[in-house]
Amino acid sequence: MSDYKFTSVEQMPPLAFSLESTRKLQTGSWRHVRPVYQDRTSPCEVGCPAGENIPLYFQLVREKKYEEAWHKILEDNPLPGVTGRVCYHPCEGACNRTGYDEPVAVHLIERFIAERNFSNKLLPEPAGSRKSENVAVIGSGPAGLSCAYQLTRRGYRVVIYEADHEAGGMLRYGIPDYRLPKNVLDKEIADIERIGVEIRVDSRIGGNVAWSELEKYDAVFVAIGAMKSRKLDVPGEDMKGVYTGVEFLRELNTGSAPKLGRNVMVVGGGNTAIDAARSAVRLGKKATILYRRTRAEMPAVPEEIEEAEKEGVRFEFLVAPASVVGVRGKVTGVELVRMKLAEPDESGRRRPVTVKGSNFSLRADTVISAVGEEPDLSFLPYSFLKKGVRLFVDDDYSTGVPGIFAGGDAATNPNGTVVNAIRSGKEAACSIDEFLGWRAKSNGAAPDVVKPERVNTFYFPHEKRTSVPRMSVEKSKSSFREVNRTLSEAQAVAEAERCFSCGTCLHCDVCMTFCPDVAISRNEEGDYVIDYEHCKGCGICVAECPREAMTLVPEGSREVEQEVEAA
Amino acid sequence: MKSTKSGNGNNGGLLHPSVDKVLVIEGTHAASYAVKLARVQVIAAYPITPQTSVVEKLSEIVSAHELDARFIRVESEHSAMACCIGSSISGARAFTATSSQGLALMHELLHWSAGSRLPIVMVNVNRAMAPPWSIYVDHNDSLSQRDTGWLQFYAESNQEVMDTVLQAYKIAERVSLPVMINLDAFVLSHTSEPVAIPKQEVVDHFLPPRKASFRVDPSDPRAFGALIGPEAYMEMRYKLFRAMEESRSVIRDVDSEFGETFGRNYGGLVEEYRTSDAEIVLITSATAVSTARIAVDEMRSLGFPVGLLKLRVFRPFPLDEIRSLAAHVKKIGVLDRNISFGATGMIYQEAKAVLYNSEVRPPLFGFIAGLGGRDITPETIKEIFSHLMNHEEPESETIWVGLRTEATDPTVPQFSRHDKKKEGV
Repeated sequence: MSDYKFTSVEQMPPLAFSLESTRKLQTGSWRHVRPVYQDRTSPCEVGCPAGENIPLYFQLVREKKYEEAWHKILEDNPLPGVTGRVCYHPCEGACNRTGYDEPVAVHLIERFIAERNFSNKLLPEPAGSRKSENVAVIGSGPAGLSCAYQLTRRGYRVVIYEADHEAGGMLRYGIPDYRLPKNVLDKEIADIERIGVEIRVDSRIGGNVAWSELEKYDAVFVAIGAMKSRKLDVPGEDMKGVYTGVEFLRELNTGSAPKLGRNVMVVGGGNTAIDAARSAVRLGKKATILYRRTRAEMPAVPEEIEEAEKEGVRFEFLVAPASVVGVRGKVTGVELVRMKLAEPDESGRRRPVTVKGSNFSLRADTVISAVGEEPDLSFLPYSFLKKGVRLFVDDDYSTGVPGIFAGGDAATNPNGTVVNAIRSGKEAACSIDEFLGWRAKSNGAAPDVVKPERVNTFYFPHEKRTSVPRMSVEKSKSSFREVNRTLSEAQAVAEAERCFSCGTCLHCDVCMTFCPDVAISRNEEGDYVIDYEHCKGCGICVAECPREAMTLVPEGSREVEQEVEAA
Repeated sequence: MKSTKSGNGNNGGLLHPSVDKVLVIEGTHAASYAVKLARVQVIAAYPITPQTSVVEKLSEIVSAHELDARFIRVESEHSAMACCIGSSISGARAFTATSSQGLALMHELLHWSAGSRLPIVMVNVNRAMAPPWSIYVDHNDSLSQRDTGWLQFYAESNQEVMDTVLQAYKIAERVSLPVMINLDAFVLSHTSEPVAIPKQEVVDHFLPPRKASFRVDPSDPRAFGALIGPEAYMEMRYKLFRAMEESRSVIRDVDSEFGETFGRNYGGLVEEYRTSDAEIVLITSATAVSTARIAVDEMRSLGFPVGLLKLRVFRPFPLDEIRSLAAHVKKIGVLDRNISFGATGMIYQEAKAVLYNSEVRPPLFGFIAGLGGRDITPETIKEIFSHLMNHEEPESETIWVGLRTEATDPTVPQFSRHDKKKEGV
């Protein structure tokens, strides 16, 4: 305005505005902090043992790119149809939405994506170049499948040795059809085979296949699971009518269910116990779960406990079997003793102690013991380090014997869950890759997780979490058909819309809209570009970002210098 | 100046061909429906009693996609006006509504919007200022903003609220100044009356889309409201002054065009009621006018030569109208529902000021009544008229009507002191 001379009122504009562009005012020189885009880790990614990139594949679901979403999951987990059904979804427990209304139903969306790609033969491209090394995997449960899949994607040739007649381990022999239909498992195993994993069934190492056969491999991953039931350790346990949970479920899953009496007593509080009890109900029996602590301490997934209850499974808490009672070698009842909870033990749960003189008996025709499983390590030719009943492994899944790694329930799995087995397989594959000299050690820096208070909830209206579509209880308790159903497309997209997408930019344009200097724009690829000649560093974009996908860094800091160099 | 087809005096407008339907609605909702009909593009507001239902209704209208507008939730009235300024400067038709303390919080930006010559329209529900807290009507909130450069209208009925909002956009966009429409808390805001809702196509014809003479263009950034030196500031102020002066004729023109289109109008800046042969005239505004009409009719039936001047517009102040009234009456009373501390009622102040340089200057009496929602009844008005008839000259600059006092005070006439016995207290 200074070089323009108004000589009269009439020449003046009604509003005071500069007659020239303000672009030449390089307000960026005022800046002492600069906003930068950053990908931060969402709590669900950390919560997911398999490390699935949940915000990214949710975004693909919102864009209805279901195949890409599937590929995104497959990077971390080759079994989304399985985990979408049976995972205890710790990701949801970590969800930042929990404190706002309800966590996003991640597992239902994962299942939807798997279902959407059920007849899809198009697998993601392998991530690594072809390599000359061969790796053997013992066991085709979730840990073995996960490890074999990850190594194959990295270019290794992998052979899985499976002692049973079919692949899948506990997924096949331990989980009943009403929770995980066999065709879902078959499909995902077939996908894994299709990328080049060879599965040799009926091949028991230490049985029909000699341990020495493994010597021709460059590395071995032991993932034999925990298939041996722990004993009840009470008199009468070997009577007719007493089964272990693993035995019972295996027979059920191979089509030859054992004959059960009318009253079935299931001892234990884990998922095997619940599976056994709900299966017994489906066979028309009265099932009762006997557990030595209270409901709060049950290791089974809470939803499963609720389902069991709905279907008529009864619970006796704070009881432990003292003996199995029978006539002529056949079970007629159990003698129980009352328990009470004392101080917490090393698992953090309160230790149950017997109440003296509180013994009583219940009628029973069948007793199923499901008090925990352990690995059968008798096939190993030389002594490995152990931790309790399991194989000892280091943080990198190495056993101490060079080239031999172990994971899943046989080694580390803290809670015997499918997803933790998948994680161990994936992480062990990275270690094997490193061991074979192909992969640099990761720096192991702790991820920078978005905290709930950093989500700008102003942008998110309260929305109810979708509920699991399920078969009616009346129908479900008399059939082994799958109880829970898959979300409809509309439900899945709506549920994905609830995701805050913590730390992952969704190109929502909030930063661009709020920038008071119009210093943010989109380039041809649609990515944001900050014009640092005009950005004053006010930080409004960072404060407004709904999901903390931006941050401010001091000018002159290492991050800024690196960025300037890169540009 | 007397209107023969006033929207207040004559509800024949309900049957006019421009009418789509007649709804029995509150004054706040009359404002909301008018905003919808005006096809406002941006609404930003912060809730405050008794304004809330203006924007509550609008939020429903916008969420039902009945109005294609951005509804911006904000954290304060200051931000609400900031949003209106931002959107108006980009060429959009913007609206906000507030009341009392909310309006006070906007104060800085009221100067800003007028100084930027932005045709923003605001509905202010007149509510007394705190403390002491009150949610009831008086006019101190809006009159405290008289020097910000906003045009100020005071509505007498819900129909007038609706009609004035429609007129306001036309006036604002013609003179490039913001307009505030005031309505009395509860007496209008929360009282239902039949309101003729005009047909959208008729409104569209009366009020075409805004054509902004300048607008923000992100690809050609400019500095708006920039710093200017002493060599130009005064000229900019003069332009604003001129615009306000010129708005008088625009208000009259728009009102008469409105009358031709919709079958009712409001007399421009003022409406005179039974003044042609009156000797004593009361000037007042807003809902007190309706009450005064009744009092005037009753006193006329008894033969008293009284009349009424409804002050519809306070800014720009109706200078010519008041001077021409003064030329033919003997005494003028001004009923103020406000008080400027250290001075007098504000309409009284201004009326007195415009008459000082006038040749004919009848005695002027300043009455204060109805503060903080105290009722102004026909009896209150008749008391005022009888005071006017019984006094040749005002005994004091300010006469408080209906004050609860036992003290002898020249500003409180004996007749209007609150009579405890009569009310049985």
